[in-house]
Parts: sequence; C-alpha cells; structure tokens
Amino acid sequence: MLRPEEAQRPYTVTELANEIRRELRPLTALLVKGEVSGMKRGTAGHFNFSIQDGVSRLDAVLFADEARRVTTLPEDGQVFIFRGRVDFFGKTGRLSFIVDQVEFDDVGKLRARLEELKRRLEAEGAFAPGRKRRLPFLPRAVALLTSPTGAVIHDLQETIWERYPNMGVVVYPVQVQGATSPASIARALRRCNEEALADVIVIARGGGSFEEMYGFNSEVVARAILASRLPVVTALGHTSDRTIADLVADAECRTPTEAGARVVPKKSDLIALLRERGRRLDREAGQRIAREVERLTLKRQRVLQLLPALVRMRSERLARAAADLARLSPVQQVARREEALRERSRRLTAAAMSRLARGRTTLAGRRAAERLERALAKRFDVARSTLGHRRQQLIAFSPESVLARGYSITQDAETGAVLRSSADTAVKRKLRIRLAAGHLGARVEEVEQ
Amino acid sequence: MNDELTYEKALEKLDEKLKLLEDGDLSLEDALKAVDEARVYLKVCTERLEAARHKIEIRPETAEE
Repeated sequence: MLRPEEAQRPYTVTELANEIRRELRPLTALLVKGEVSGMKRGTAGHFNFSIQDGVSRLDAVLFADEARRVTTLPEDGQVFIFRGRVDFFGKTGRLSFIVDQVEFDDVGKLRARLEELKRRLEAEGAFAPGRKRRLPFLPRAVALLTSPTGAVIHDLQETIWERYPNMGVVVYPVQVQGATSPASIARALRRCNEEALADVIVIARGGGSFEEMYGFNSEVVARAILASRLPVVTALGHTSDRTIADLVADAECRTPTEAGARVVPKKSDLIALLRERGRRLDREAGQRIAREVERLTLKRQRVLQLLPALVRMRSERLARAAADLARLSPVQQVARREEALRERSRRLTAAAMSRLARGRTTLAGRRAAERLERALAKRFDVARSTLGHRRQQLIAFSPESVLARGYSITQDAETGAVLRSSADTAVKRKLRIRLAAGHLGARVEEVEQ
Repeated sequence: MNDELTYEKALEKLDEKLKLLEDGDLSLEDALKAVDEARVYLKVCTERLEAARHKIEIRPETAEE
C-alpha cells in the first residue's frame, strides 16, 4: 500500500493500476468455488462470465488456450471449483479472476450422471455385441483421430507400417481433453464418414484421469460413434474405467500399438496365405489333368485287353452258327432220323427178345410142354383144314378151271402178252390161243373195234 | 465384377473354388473352368494387397463451430 510520505506526488492512473497489479500478484494458484452466470464467448475464443456465491460477485475469464485444456466448459447455474489468479485490467478498470482450470465441485455427481447415461444407452442396445460393425479384413487406409501433438500418431503409424508397409494413414487431429473435446471428436467422426478416405477409424489418446477422459464419457461422442458408418476402434490408454466411447465402439483396445495390430493384418501373412492357395490351385489343376490322362490310359489298356476276347467271342459265335446250320440241313436230318430208326429197331428187337425169353421162361415154368404140343396139334389140324379149303378156292380161281369152263386166253405169239382188247393187236399178227386142253396157232384176219 | 470385390470376398470365392476342386466331384470341363476362375480371384487378392498407398495424410480441423 502507499505510504503517507509518498502521497505528496499524485500517482497517474496507470501508475496506480500497475501498483494494484503488483499488489495482486501473490493471489495466484487460488481455488475459488462459485456458481457460473452470464457465460459469454468472445470473438477470440475467450469465455467471460461471473462467479458468485449469492453475496459477492467476481468477473472471470477463461482464455481460449485454457478453454481447450479444461475438462469441462462451465455453464450458467453450475457450481465449479475454479483455479486461477486475480488480475486487474487497467484499460477497463476491472478486476478479473483468470481461470486456468475448472473442476467439478462434486465428482460423485458427475459419476452419477455418467451411470445414468450408461443405463440409457444400454437400454437402447448401444452396447449390444450384435449391433457392432465388423472391422474390415483389409482396409485401404486407417483413419486416426487423436491429438496432433502426442506420441500416439507415431506409435500407431509405426505399428501399421511394420505390419503393412503400404497402408495409408489419415490423421484427423482432435481435442482429446478439455471442454471442446466432445464436439471436436464428434465433428472429426462425421468428417471421416463423409470423406471416406479410410475404411476404419481409430480414436486414440494416452490415458488420463477421470476428469481428463471426460470427453470420451460424453453423450455427444457416444452418439457420433453410434452414427458412424465406418467401424470405430478405441485406444484410450490404460485407464481404471472403461469409457462410454469404449463401450459403444466396435472394438476396444488399450494402446495404439494394440489398435494398429487389430485393424491391419500382417501383409507377409496374407502373401504367404495367397502363395499357399496358389500352390494348392496348381496342384489341383495338375492332379486333375494327371487323373484324366491316367483314366484315358487305363481305358486304352482295357480296350487293348478286351480286343482279342471280343474277336474270339465273335468267331466262337460264328462257329456255333455254322454248327447250327449244319444240324438243320436235310441230309443231316435224314441221317439223324435213320439213326433214330435204327436205334428204335434195336430197342424193339431187344424188347422182343427179352419178352420171348420171358415167355419161354414162363412156359417152362409151368411145365406146359405137353399142353403146348396139344395146342400145336390142334392148330395144325385147323391149319390143315383151312389149307384144304384154300386149295379148293385156289383151284376154282385158277386159269385151268376157267379154261375148263370154255374160256380161252389169247396171247401175242411173239411177245407173249395177253390180249385184253382188239386194239392190243393188228391184222396179220400171229396169235397163240390157249384152250383148256392144248394150244392153237392163229393169224389176225380182221380187227373190229 | 472385379472392382467390387474386396480382398476378403475374393479370398472367400477363391477358397470356394479350391474346395470344389479338392472335393474332386467336378467334371474335367468344370474343373478347368473352376481353375481359371480361381486364378482370377487369386489375381484380384494379390492386386488388393498392393492397392493401398503408403502415405500419411493430415486432415486439420476446419473452422470451429
């Protein structure tokens, strides 16, 4: 403060203002708790507002650089703990609290809000495995959403190119912490989908405290991930809690290295796999042809083997046909029938002989010799009388008996032929006429028909 | 048709043809056709491996909302 002896010369306003600033300098790294009101964003990205506790009011400013770093942007009516210093601005004559950090008054309340958001998203099915998009097997390029200054870009790029030397990487720089991070991440996600320069998105940062990870627990980021057409992979570092971004993402990794291995296959593996397929294809094609050649060879051999047999079969059939033909010829048939007749006659003779022998045996068996003789004698008598009768008949029919009844037989004297008709002779032919007793020689005088 | 095929799809097709061939039920004509088709898919796969461009591109944020 000014001492009385120095007050003799009046200060200029600027001098006093500077003096006030100097005196306020110890008031740095202060924590002040109060409610926000009159929040306004200036053209340069600075935020102006008031912090109040119902009795007193303090002007406050959050510069643009700081605003990007803070975990959350203060809003009217919310109570925060602000860290900062007090400064006096000579130009405006106002005293302001320059904020460099904003903390929630009650982390418990924030966690409760977070749990409520989780429940809501879960009820919508936002975490369901069935909803998750499949990562492409081989992306054309990988989009990386991360802080432009961190080591994350380097780590991910190294992993990706080690695995796949010609993979493309498209970096979308985003605010990974601070009040502006949710909007920044959501914007970048939308751009990725619109520009479609890559087939998969990796959101990465190097871990952090619960407050620092605030953006990844915001509904804005969750909705942007859910709305993304391209699959999203998170790599948010080793944190104690999984963020909502991790829960709604299509795959969740911890480090950029892990994410790189997850989104990009090893090119050497793919090349080896294709070579193996190529070899199998060549082998199959070769074997198929070889099998066909073998089949043809076998068929040819079979034909060659079968040929003589086929010829033999044909000639045998021919021989059989010739035999059939011969068997059917008339000469053969007559010969066969003669043979059959001879066979039958042999069988007949044999049968008769055996029958006779049997009869003879029977007769002998019955001692019928006398009866036989008697029967024979009787049969002789009958035969004799029949014979006598027959002789009488014979005599009655003999030419002599006919001649005796006055008939004569006229024969041609030269040929001896018996004449039955006048036409059998001619005039002057010599005739011999046989009478019952004696012959007459005669000559034909006249022939009457 | 080849422009729409991803590496993965082409590989799937290639494996289908290989399986058909390895099952050995194909006629000679069909087998030769399958071999030709499989070779096309193999070529597509190889082309896809080389299709990516090795580069890193930075897409800075445009003006903030």
